[in-house]
Amino acid sequence: MYDLINMSCIGIDKMKTNGRHTTTLELTRSEIIDHIEAGARRRLHISAQDLVRRYRRGELEDPGAVADLLALANLLPDNDPIFGNAAA
Amino acid sequence: MATPPPNLAKLLGRVRQLTEEYKAGNRQSFKSFRELVSLLLSSTIMKTGGGVQLVLLKNEEKKGVIGGRKGPTDPLPLNNGRYLRLSMSLELTDTPEGPRLKVYDSSFQYQLDRDGKHWIFRYDYLRHPASQHPPAHFQIRGKLTEQLVLRQGHPLERVHFPTSRVSLEAIIRLLAIQFGVRCNEPPDVWQPVLAESEHLFFRIAHLPLSGPAE
Repeated sequence: MYDLINMSCIGIDKMKTNGRHTTTLELTRSEIIDHIEAGARRRLHISAQDLVRRYRRGELEDPGAVADLLALANLLPDNDPIFGNAAA
Repeated sequence: MATPPPNLAKLLGRVRQLTEEYKAGNRQSFKSFRELVSLLLSSTIMKTGGGVQLVLLKNEEKKGVIGGRKGPTDPLPLNNGRYLRLSMSLELTDTPEGPRLKVYDSSFQYQLDRDGKHWIFRYDYLRHPASQHPPAHFQIRGKLTEQLVLRQGHPLERVHFPTSRVSLEAIIRLLAIQFGVRCNEPPDVWQPVLAESEHLFFRIAHLPLSGPAE
């Protein structure tokens, strides 16, 4: 699994209570896209750009299957180049 | 009359405090939401060693994603050795009542394996759906007993059953009660904790139509 915690990151805060962890991780645009790219290639054999553009055009057959990757894409602004001309 | 469990009042107080904080609609709201999700899962079905992470885009103050310990693609380990993949997209939005933290998308998938190839059920809520699926829907990976019911090439797992809003608390209850996942607190603690949190959530939750508005 592509591991977000091992990526270079900025501004982490961590808490541990009763053996459970909560953390905050700040990622750059490039790190987010790398993560989506890895997941999209592994699961659907398409690029990150293909994934988010197909989703925004309503062309993904089962978007829930990759809802976790789409959630990461939601962090990017609607005018990010990865979305191209797909509807925001 | 039975005496309430000693830590119940403390947990209920914490639920109310975190809810007030995330409703405040400021930068702290993201962390308060993260802490609330962690409290609900830690009191119930999440295995020791699991965790909740908030992911933010650097220099972006208004959006965040909640997921497992290593992000939204990292499922939460459960007490029965199975997993819950959880992702919730959060955004600070201006409303007539002032800024609010809103959950724009959420997805909860119960699965046997870390990769999610062997998933059991999934609930998705997409506030701005980009397809013809109902914005809030439930899917089950299984087979119908009856034949010749589904469209050709459209197995049951691809049927998106429309729902209203389904809370994280409801998914936890479903797993605890109907799938038998053990909870970390006794029922007289975790049940009122989930009830309080869910009650507060539904006061402000957006309820979607089951299809396009136009």
